[in-house]
Amino acid sequence: MRWGMVINLSKCTRCHACVAACRIEHFLPLHITWPRLIAWETSKEQGVEVTTYPVRCNHCQNAPCVEVCPTQATQKRADGIVWVDQDKCAGCRYCVIACPYQNRTFLSRDKNPGYFPGYPPTRFEKMGKKLYPHQEGTTEKCNFCMERIDRGLAMGLKPGIDRDATPACVNTCQARALTFGDLDDPESAVSRLIKQHKGFQLHPEFGTDPSVFYIDPGLANAPSNVAPEGSTTGCHIQHLSTMEARAKAIFQAGRGEEK
Amino acid sequence: MATHTSRQWMVTHEWMLKGNRQSEWIEKRGILLWLAFYCGGLGGGLYLVSLFFNNLWGMIVGWVIVAVLKGSFHFAFLGKPARFWRMVFHPQTSWLSRGLLFVLSFTGAAFIQIILSLTLPGSPLEILFKVVAGIFALAVATYTGFVLNKVKGVPFWNLPILPVLFVIGGILGGFGLTVGMGIFNDQINLHAAENWSRVFLIIDVLLISIYLALAARKDETGKKSVLYQLKGGLAVIFWSGVVLAGAILPFIITFYSYFAGDAAPGLIITAVICEIAGGMLLRYCLLKSAIYSPLIALKA
Repeated sequence: MRWGMVINLSKCTRCHACVAACRIEHFLPLHITWPRLIAWETSKEQGVEVTTYPVRCNHCQNAPCVEVCPTQATQKRADGIVWVDQDKCAGCRYCVIACPYQNRTFLSRDKNPGYFPGYPPTRFEKMGKKLYPHQEGTTEKCNFCMERIDRGLAMGLKPGIDRDATPACVNTCQARALTFGDLDDPESAVSRLIKQHKGFQLHPEFGTDPSVFYIDPGLANAPSNVAPEGSTTGCHIQHLSTMEARAKAIFQAGRGEEK
Repeated sequence: MATHTSRQWMVTHEWMLKGNRQSEWIEKRGILLWLAFYCGGLGGGLYLVSLFFNNLWGMIVGWVIVAVLKGSFHFAFLGKPARFWRMVFHPQTSWLSRGLLFVLSFTGAAFIQIILSLTLPGSPLEILFKVVAGIFALAVATYTGFVLNKVKGVPFWNLPILPVLFVIGGILGGFGLTVGMGIFNDQINLHAAENWSRVFLIIDVLLISIYLALAARKDETGKKSVLYQLKGGLAVIFWSGVVLAGAILPFIITFYSYFAGDAAPGLIITAVICEIAGGMLLRYCLLKSAIYSPLIALKA
């Protein structure tokens, strides 16, 4: 068994819901984000557009972070999940340096000033300290919501299919751009997507064998992420696309009035 | 295309695509790690050079640099210093773990050797501990090169020549300090120390040049790192600190001393300080200019 994720780049609507869901699930400190949405400008004939890549820990099979960790705080489970035992981490940051995907963060005091610095902690923060304490001076990263997976499996549920056993980011993705499942099972949804759409990993030349795959079926004429005419992906993409066009029109109209 | 100034909200998201520099091991508390890495090279190098000249004071200073200075810097750098003892448990694959074991072994062996040199000089036991401590001193001076060399995401570090550069730099610093000590200690053969210092200075300059040439040829990101050092934000530190202070000035002083016979102690001390500063700044530049391969290769 090897848990993995497939990210459909064409479906991602860059809404940041996965980032928010993870924050809520793990009570992340203010300046920590486990999944990230990296974005860059692409020039189109009609103007500037934004292209995005949702990234997170790749849970590599040959994880450099596991290899370099001197305290064995970073470990790989039998199911492929790479996680950090914060009670063992000495805070040397070698894993942060060694991760070629730059998906680890050292939790220093300045990254955890409280959601409203200078004010008492919110109820959310107070609850987080009880339910999911984060240790300053240690390293953090995405753990594929392994608590949800373990709890779900104990209840007889199937990760990737049953919501209570599936990572929070996958559950929350309104565009269904994220798919989770067992990469070792050729009949799983992730395996089929990878096979069908020629899934690829980031930087395969490093020999890390990530468990996060990307597919780009060209559904939305990627990399613009704008749904094409006749897309059956979902009305929300068309909606966002329309919103973007409207926002641009309003912005340009505003600039015209300024002149 | 809109400029970034008009789209500030995007800048934070773009950092993985621009080939960003590592910061954890050089900025804020990372400065301590830079100092720790340098102390490893310098202390280990000085100990080896002191063994060569049978200079007991040099061995003691080398031990203090590794055990006290390097140890303290590492300790202060850790996010959870009280857990440092856990770091010895993974030497199978982790160079940091191996490094800690080297430092601990060197500290123990060199301490016993120094005691034996003071109480039983020339005894077989003293010689045995000199050999053992010498091997660990070499390991202490070298391992930081392997620590960085292991990082696949940074092409600038991922070069086999890096550990060699680190150990040669450490030994050069060791010769520099030995020359400085030789002014005050008649038992040290000052001329021999100066001669070796010249040789290692030339080797060091050649190695730095080869290293930068190899890094620039490795790939686009490696080239970026080299250019950042030679022409970018680190150019002032590199040219004035590493090249002028670390190589040209000691070169001029040491060759003046070679042709003129004896150089004034003030000049020799200046050369030693320049050499040490150059070595420190070289490591600073190596850590600071480490750029990651962009996460996603963008089409030009």
